[in-house]
Amino acid sequence: MNTNDLIEDLARGLEPIAPLWRPGRRAAAWSLGAAVYLGVLVVGMSAVNSHTGGAGAGFWVSQIAAVVMGLLASRAAFASVVPGLPQHSRVWAALAALVWLGTLVAASPRDFDWATVLAASHEWICVGFIVVGGAPLMLVLAVMLRHGAPLSPATTAAFAALSVGALANVGACLSLPHANSAITFAWHGGVVLALVAVAALTGHLVFVWSAARSRSIVDGRAGYGT
Amino acid sequence: MRAAQQGDRVSYKELLRTITPRIRQLIRRQRGFAGTAEVEDLVQDVLLSVHTVRATYDPARPFVPWLLAIVRNRLVDGARRYARISRREIYVDEEDVTFSEPATNDDIGDVEDAAALHAAVRALPEGQRQAIELLKLKELSLKEAAEVSGTSVGALKVATHRAMSTLRRTLGKRRE
Repeated sequence: MNTNDLIEDLARGLEPIAPLWRPGRRAAAWSLGAAVYLGVLVVGMSAVNSHTGGAGAGFWVSQIAAVVMGLLASRAAFASVVPGLPQHSRVWAALAALVWLGTLVAASPRDFDWATVLAASHEWICVGFIVVGGAPLMLVLAVMLRHGAPLSPATTAAFAALSVGALANVGACLSLPHANSAITFAWHGGVVLALVAVAALTGHLVFVWSAARSRSIVDGRAGYGT
Repeated sequence: MRAAQQGDRVSYKELLRTITPRIRQLIRRQRGFAGTAEVEDLVQDVLLSVHTVRATYDPARPFVPWLLAIVRNRLVDGARRYARISRREIYVDEEDVTFSEPATNDDIGDVEDAAALHAAVRALPEGQRQAIELLKLKELSLKEAAEVSGTSVGALKVATHRAMSTLRRTLGKRRE
């Protein structure tokens, strides 16, 4: 097909389309849904609030840092699928991740023992909460992101996973008691990091240019090719 | 682009016609080594991508950075694709089109009598003749031929198969 024919076909098949909301607004909408979902999940867990009453300021600071990180990471993910947008939101999200990890380290006891921290097998429940509980959030986020342009699939997927991991981590922290922040740092931080790594490696499978699909639609309608 | 998002086909066509030469120029500048066909492939890839993600354009923001981001992305993807393909391709300068053994060239280019071929085609039933003319002589695609003939793609395939069998039989008899 020559380019002029393609232009004719694209114009002929044009349908009205609503512009996507701005990244901040889309991130806010998704985060609101995520908050409701996680709220239900947390309330549903029997251990809810059994420990947070006595939690110190450090605990709450790290939760707030995680929520901010989740919001900024989701905004960065949504911004990454819009061509031509400045990408400073990525820097803010990365900084927020560092701040979150910093708050966990700051709230950790000075004399914690790494062997004890890593042997905290009950933390597997938190891992399950973050991974399994976060899966529906990730699914919805991926569907929303696929409406954008897959300009940098790895980055988009990594920030999406960071956002989901951050918010699911808050859900896990509120649902299940933790002995200290060092355990949260090692286990939750490790899981979030692993999620980000897996997402970055597999993002290109999820966020792909649908130009081929568009081409096939054009072909099918206009009768080019077989 | 704002008008295009509202479904204004005329404006959209005008927009695509306006940006196409600029995209082509940009690609030529970036891919000086690329041939015309490759440049046009990239131009079409960009146009399809623009079409696919037109919802991501924010009417409150300038159009050019949005377009350039897509062009850059498609160029990078194109370069990756090119590198991937060229790693796997083996260039062969000169190869025989057919094998030298006569037995392997049984049916190919063996019809020396063009008049006999024309006569055999003319003698085909109407549907089969039309299928041969559209697909083999005018070299239309199946879909295009189906549109022209007003039949389905499946019916065309069947008619072509039968026509080829008949021609093979007819011309084979003449050779014997």
